Amino acid sequence: MVDRLLKDDAIQEKGERARMASFIGAMAIADLVKTTLGPKGMDKILQSTGRGRSVTVTNDGATILKSLHIDNPAAKVLVDISKVQDDEVGDGTTSVVVLAGELLREAEKLVNMKIHPMTIIAGFRMAAECARNALLLKAMDNKEDSDKFRSDLMNIAMTTLSSKILSQDKEYFADLAVDAVLRLKGSTNLEAIQILKKPGGSLKDSFLDEGFILDKKIGLGQPKRIENAKILVANTAMDTDKVKIYGARVRVDSMAKVAEIEAAEKQKMRKKVQKIIGHGINCFINRQLIYNFPEELFADAGILAIEHADFEGIERLALVTGGDIASTFDNPESVKLGHCKVIEEIMIGEDRLIHFSGVQMGQACTIVLRGASEHVLDEAERSLHDALCVLSQTVNDTRVLHGGGWPEMVMAKEVDELARKTPGKKSHAIEAFSRALQAIPTIIADNAGLDSADLISQLRAEHHKEQSTAGIDVISGGVGDMKELGISESFKVKQAVLLSATEAVEMILRVDEIVTCAPRRREDRM
Amino acid sequence: MATAVAASPAQSRKTETYTDTKRRDDVRGLNIAAARAVADAVRTSLGPRGMDKMISSGDQAQEVIITNDGATILSRMSLLQPAARMLAELSRSQDAAAGDGTTTVVVLAGSLLRRAQSLLSAGAHPTAAADALHRLATRAVEILHAMAIPIELSDRHSLVKSASTALNSKVVSQYSSLLSPLAVDAALSVVDPAHPDLLDLRDIRVVKKLGGTVDDTELIRGLIFDKKASHSAGGLTRVENAKIAVIQFQVSPPKTDIEQSVIVSDYAQMDRILREERNYILGMVKKIKASGCNVLLIQKSILRDAVTDLSLHYLAKAKILVVKDVERDEIEFITKTLNCLPIANIEHFCQDKLGYADLVEEVSVGDSKIVKITGIKNMGRTTTVLVRGSNQLVIDEAERSLHDALCVIRCLVNTRFLIAGGGAPEIEMSMQLAAWAKELQGMESYCIKEFAEALEVIPYTLAENAGLNPISIVTELRNRHAKGEKNAGINVRKGEITNILEENVVQPLLVSTSAITLASECVRMILKIDDIVTVR
Repeated sequence: MVDRLLKDDAIQEKGERARMASFIGAMAIADLVKTTLGPKGMDKILQSTGRGRSVTVTNDGATILKSLHIDNPAAKVLVDISKVQDDEVGDGTTSVVVLAGELLREAEKLVNMKIHPMTIIAGFRMAAECARNALLLKAMDNKEDSDKFRSDLMNIAMTTLSSKILSQDKEYFADLAVDAVLRLKGSTNLEAIQILKKPGGSLKDSFLDEGFILDKKIGLGQPKRIENAKILVANTAMDTDKVKIYGARVRVDSMAKVAEIEAAEKQKMRKKVQKIIGHGINCFINRQLIYNFPEELFADAGILAIEHADFEGIERLALVTGGDIASTFDNPESVKLGHCKVIEEIMIGEDRLIHFSGVQMGQACTIVLRGASEHVLDEAERSLHDALCVLSQTVNDTRVLHGGGWPEMVMAKEVDELARKTPGKKSHAIEAFSRALQAIPTIIADNAGLDSADLISQLRAEHHKEQSTAGIDVISGGVGDMKELGISESFKVKQAVLLSATEAVEMILRVDEIVTCAPRRREDRM
Repeated sequence: MATAVAASPAQSRKTETYTDTKRRDDVRGLNIAAARAVADAVRTSLGPRGMDKMISSGDQAQEVIITNDGATILSRMSLLQPAARMLAELSRSQDAAAGDGTTTVVVLAGSLLRRAQSLLSAGAHPTAAADALHRLATRAVEILHAMAIPIELSDRHSLVKSASTALNSKVVSQYSSLLSPLAVDAALSVVDPAHPDLLDLRDIRVVKKLGGTVDDTELIRGLIFDKKASHSAGGLTRVENAKIAVIQFQVSPPKTDIEQSVIVSDYAQMDRILREERNYILGMVKKIKASGCNVLLIQKSILRDAVTDLSLHYLAKAKILVVKDVERDEIEFITKTLNCLPIANIEHFCQDKLGYADLVEEVSVGDSKIVKITGIKNMGRTTTVLVRGSNQLVIDEAERSLHDALCVIRCLVNTRFLIAGGGAPEIEMSMQLAAWAKELQGMESYCIKEFAEALEVIPYTLAENAGLNPISIVTELRNRHAKGEKNAGINVRKGEITNILEENVVQPLLVSTSAITLASECVRMILKIDDIVTVR
């Protein structure tokens, strides 16, 4: 027996135990989010243990997983793939975790059958490759036909939204999202789509507005409407230009001199304002405060000055109006000004906001969300964000698949074929992969309270025919024609789900030892 | 397979039945129970005979509030359970959307949840119930629209009627004959003819002043400052033909932004500095005087004293009335009312930035004083209401009630429809929806029937709170509506069913529609939750 290798409190788990620990952790995570999958998936309340005990209601896998406390390393891997899925394609964040969980469940059985993890990995790899090819073959592409493509986009948006809070008004929001994304003209820069949440009204009162809305006030005595605005976006101190050296002070020997210094300071500010006005602008937006004095100067010059615009607002404003964020004003010619057609004050609900329309970046637009409460709005924003992500990805990669468990069944069929052709132990793994794929439609059916065993066997029989478009129709509760129902998914999302789930599983399978480092002292372990 | 695609009824039933694990049922049950507990807490404050609640804050101050306003009660309750908090937020959104009906919306949600629970235990799938509720809400709004009576803003009488319905349930109900015309006048005076659909309540300022009774509450076409005019050195308290300046600079010895120190080395120098300081201030006062200004409103400054004794002395000598410590966020309202511009620097002090008024005077109200500006020339579209009351609790409640009344008028400005009160729309919705449910099929019909009955909670509670027999009242009400009397409602004062329109109990359509849509949205959300996850 060797002496202790590791420090106090550090834990080492080996071989079978380590593998089991990671399987169980990962599957627990997958089971947690499983119920949110599909159009009849349920929501979860996330209750924060921090101060304020804030509450979030969500159905978005990535949001749930992001906020969990997790100790299990394998579970962390799953959280990570969900996060990556969110960043890359924006949707399918639950699917990817559930698929990985199902793959692990199958892998566990195989390991118990004394099949070496490396063999399983090899089999999974082959299966994944085969499944991907099956998808590639079946993917549809309506790039040329713009009308058809738009209806594809609508279908994708509606499918994405149908599992979310917006499902009741999904047509309305799908239309909104498609309009917004098509304005982008192929760029995936979702920055240009601003989502503004205003409590009050109902979800149906949400609307798409061209241009940009800033949740700020116009300074006193300044014009409330400007046409053909020339905008200078700045981040500069409009209170005083202070000497930043600590302890700098002036010594004087009379009150008059103090007054002189004060006057000089005022003069300096006046000069600065003059310089800013010298840019030939009629709208000045600053990230920092604008004090009363310069505010009045701007008002006198008939310039609309907006103070204290938040950082994100400033960046976005600079982006959409095509201006630079300036902080010095000595060279008016080198500063790029932003432009827009009309700036005016508008009212949404009870609040006054500033609306910039006809901005230079023509694709920019704002979606104003209205809803009963903060929870509804937050969740609506997350749902809409998902839809926007998927749509913008689809605009780039125009391949489209049917939804409703159709792609999984297509893949499962091909993978089954492969298993039959493959000799050796690997074929077990390939078969297992096919079973895991079929678990996704099973879960969708289960969540909707349907008899999954019956439905899946029907679906499989249906898919045995060539060119079948059958999938689960959750609304009527049977097997339906996905093409007729217009349930579509983006190819890119499905591919990402397949590949990253397989990769994550591979990683977890390779583990045969977990070394937990000595923890730092913590008072309250959750 | 074609049969499966067509979805035979036998299969469709499967969608809607629901078997779930034990734990998830528990979470949903807990949520519903918690939300209903909240609804029950405010239930007794519904209606004209509703009771008030006393809320005492748990902290050191032991502040006590007495109110009957649902939004206020719920916002003060420190709720922890997430679903209960969602109900509190629901009431807040009703407050934002319509301003009135904040209790109604919560009671309605509670009743819908109760029915939802029995639906769930009957085996309905939560999403099936949620979808049915959504359809119900859209349908209910259509029914309400059909019942509504259009109104013109010139019809002052109807406006006053609806404002007094809102006030009837409050502590101040006996003053509704005073407060409702006041609210209507205040609201109508700030409606901009250019935007007839908009009414910004921020243009109406409510100033609370202890003393007197609610009867003394008045509408003032002008401005009020809850402050004394400066009295030091015999400052003026009354100025006629006032020329008013709103200044954002300070009349005090100079202070630079950079740190400075005046070095005094002998006595003579000190004398000189004092003299210079005096001259400096005198110079400023002279400049102010030169513009003809005789009333000065000075913004509060955190950087240095806005005024000093010395400057007040000079200003008094120059016969200028001074109101100091005006908050920065009030400046916008003031300048809008006075139709003047704020002045941020002494150099810019000129005549065209001044506002004009016939009279500025300090008046005693109770044991304290306020400054009143009346007869403003070119007054902006703003107005001020001075609320009086014998104690702080009454004043606060009067202010909240006034806010409700103003919101009612705002709703009417937005959507110009009235609807009967007294439980009439709810019972009508309930009847029509129940009839509609019979035309539907499957689980949806069952859910809608249940939810339609849930709407009866409003007349039921109204009757209960008024000490009437709820069952006999509600059944009679139902009976009358079945006979086609659409506007039959509970007349709480007489304790019987009458045509509620004749009793002048009316409310804006927007209050009812937003109550039903918001309540259903919230209930749907609660139904869809199957787990509470604790996170960071």
